[in-house]
Amino acid sequence: MKRLTALLLALTILLGLAACGGPKPSGADANKLVVWHDKEDAVIEALSAYLEEAVPDLEIVFEKKTSLTDSLKLVGNDPTAAPDLFIFAHDKIGVFAEMGILAPVAELLGEGALADCLPMTLSAATYKGTLYQLPLYFETLLFMYNRRYMQDDEAPATTGELLDYMGRNTGRGRYGFVEQHSTAYYSAAWIHGFGDSIIGEDGTPFPDAQAVRDALAYHLQFVALMPGETEYSTVNTLFLEGKADATIGGPWMVPSARDAGIDLGIAPMPTVDVTGKPLAPYSGVQGVHVLKFAAEGKTEAVKTLLSALTDPAIGTSLALASGCAPANVKCYDDPAVAGDELVQSMRATAEIAVPMPNIPEMDVMWTVVGNLLTDVNLSGKDVGASFDAALAKASELIAAMK
Amino acid sequence: MKKREKNEAAKKRRRGIFYSYAWSSPSLLLIALMVVFPILYTGYISLTNMNVYHWFDFTVVGLDNYLRALFVFDSGFLSALLATILWTAVNMILQLIIAFVLASLLNIRKLRLRKLYKTLLMFPWAMPGYVSILLWKTGMFNTQFGLLNQWMEKLGLEAARWLSSDLSAFVCCTVVNLWLALPFMIMIMDGAMQSIDRGYEESALLDGASWFQRTRYIIVPAIKPIITPAVINTVFTTFKTFDVVYLLTQQAGAKTGSGFHTILTYAYENAFITNNYGYSSAISILIFILLIVFSARFQLREEGDL
Repeated sequence: MKRLTALLLALTILLGLAACGGPKPSGADANKLVVWHDKEDAVIEALSAYLEEAVPDLEIVFEKKTSLTDSLKLVGNDPTAAPDLFIFAHDKIGVFAEMGILAPVAELLGEGALADCLPMTLSAATYKGTLYQLPLYFETLLFMYNRRYMQDDEAPATTGELLDYMGRNTGRGRYGFVEQHSTAYYSAAWIHGFGDSIIGEDGTPFPDAQAVRDALAYHLQFVALMPGETEYSTVNTLFLEGKADATIGGPWMVPSARDAGIDLGIAPMPTVDVTGKPLAPYSGVQGVHVLKFAAEGKTEAVKTLLSALTDPAIGTSLALASGCAPANVKCYDDPAVAGDELVQSMRATAEIAVPMPNIPEMDVMWTVVGNLLTDVNLSGKDVGASFDAALAKASELIAAMK
Repeated sequence: MKKREKNEAAKKRRRGIFYSYAWSSPSLLLIALMVVFPILYTGYISLTNMNVYHWFDFTVVGLDNYLRALFVFDSGFLSALLATILWTAVNMILQLIIAFVLASLLNIRKLRLRKLYKTLLMFPWAMPGYVSILLWKTGMFNTQFGLLNQWMEKLGLEAARWLSSDLSAFVCCTVVNLWLALPFMIMIMDGAMQSIDRGYEESALLDGASWFQRTRYIIVPAIKPIITPAVINTVFTTFKTFDVVYLLTQQAGAKTGSGFHTILTYAYENAFITNNYGYSSAISILIFILLIVFSARFQLREEGDL
């Protein structure tokens, strides 16, 4: 009896495993499109509601994936497991294009369909001269302040004014200004303010080495007046609890700031005194990517969907539903969008924002720059020596990618 | 007649062997699928040029990746290896001592609320490791909101950055690792102690043996064969620690300034982020071989001791 039970249990386990590995539905239905995403519910609800009316003949299935890029790396060329399209930020375009799973979108769109897109969003979506993403909206960092502590006329126009304000208002558990000072995404604004970038278009790390050294050394005096921790939760909580007067943060901070009862002010990014250039943050362009097999096998359905998504109406609904800044300039003519301070601020920042590099080499630079900033800002190591070590490490890792 | 009996016996033995394998086959199959296949596949990938530029059209390139991987085994890797050995030794010694003391306390006769203590001691095991580690990071070690700095403030001391230097990060990581690992060791030791015949101890007591003598000559030899597999298992789990060190000090976007690396966090930062699966697999296989060598040496020594 025991043996029989053991055998039955073993068979059950094996059958269970076999069922786990079974093939997914083939997705042969030409009018059904599966879209993977990692977005918040408000964005997907707005998209679903719009598409149900705009393309009633298509069945669009949105599936949320927490580790979308890793999943795509595994199944990106397998039509039985991969989605037909996915919505994601533009910075992985290079990786997926090199892997050979992305279809160029320009030929799937009607003529002039992209004429109203902000130039910054199109440049972000282009890799090696080919457009691989239909931009929907973008996000960028903003200078935010709590009006309870920082008055509108105190919002710093320059980094010198910011430093002065920090000096006067930091101490006894309070901070004049906080940011994630030792992460690459935030510090890029300072490097751009000194005229360099983390990586050049051709994959050269830190094209202007001296500018990066200067930016790091200049930034140190601000870091000294900020907490010794750089992660999102600490910075966010300090600002939301009223312990920090101002911060540089993304639009995702705005709902929680409003919920916390903060009278939120948004100001243009300060200009670096010594260079005359503004702190230019990275921007992330969120949009639709088409997988190669879907572009070939479900061409008409994909074209219909993309065409519907070029309509300014969807950009407007997204802006109103979740405070996104639409990629389509026509959306900003809508009175409700025009009256939204947050969206308009991001629209203004788009003029100076630098799209995150979308080349594959950037993947290693996030870690290299993070380590460089940690060494300089948190471990107190010498700027020059740390920079030289980071440059050598970047070159080594980029070489190791191939 | 004898020949027939011999044949029968051989047949019976063969049948026995066949049934042994037949009954074990489901678990052997599972082990092959979950353990052996990934190792063999990693070995295969390590011989190819699978990277972003050859993701689906990779080809076999021989031992190229291994030659390049040797460059990762630089001075940084060597110091990470030494740190990992120290980390494993410190953690194991502390785990064994603390688990032994707590298990001994749990086995005090007429101890009241024994089940409650056991449940409390098992509690860290019930929580997902990821959650525990991040709770320690934000709840205890955070410079702004952490409990430790709040106590420091109450005592009139200056707030400390607990995870910023190599030494303090090592200590903090050890504390969190002990919190995560102790329940298992306590459970094994407690079980082992309960299996000791009370008669031995009572005889020793009658002979006037001290607590130290009873521990040295009765308890330790009695529990040793039972806890040895658990200790070997824990040594390797500790040696290949990634989550505690990475999440506390090295997480992307939340680095603390500490340079303490285990070999796995070092390999992650120096190879795995390149998206070069061939190269990363070669490094994984080399680390795997390193672990096997350590394992073989350790197990041989253990067998020698027993």
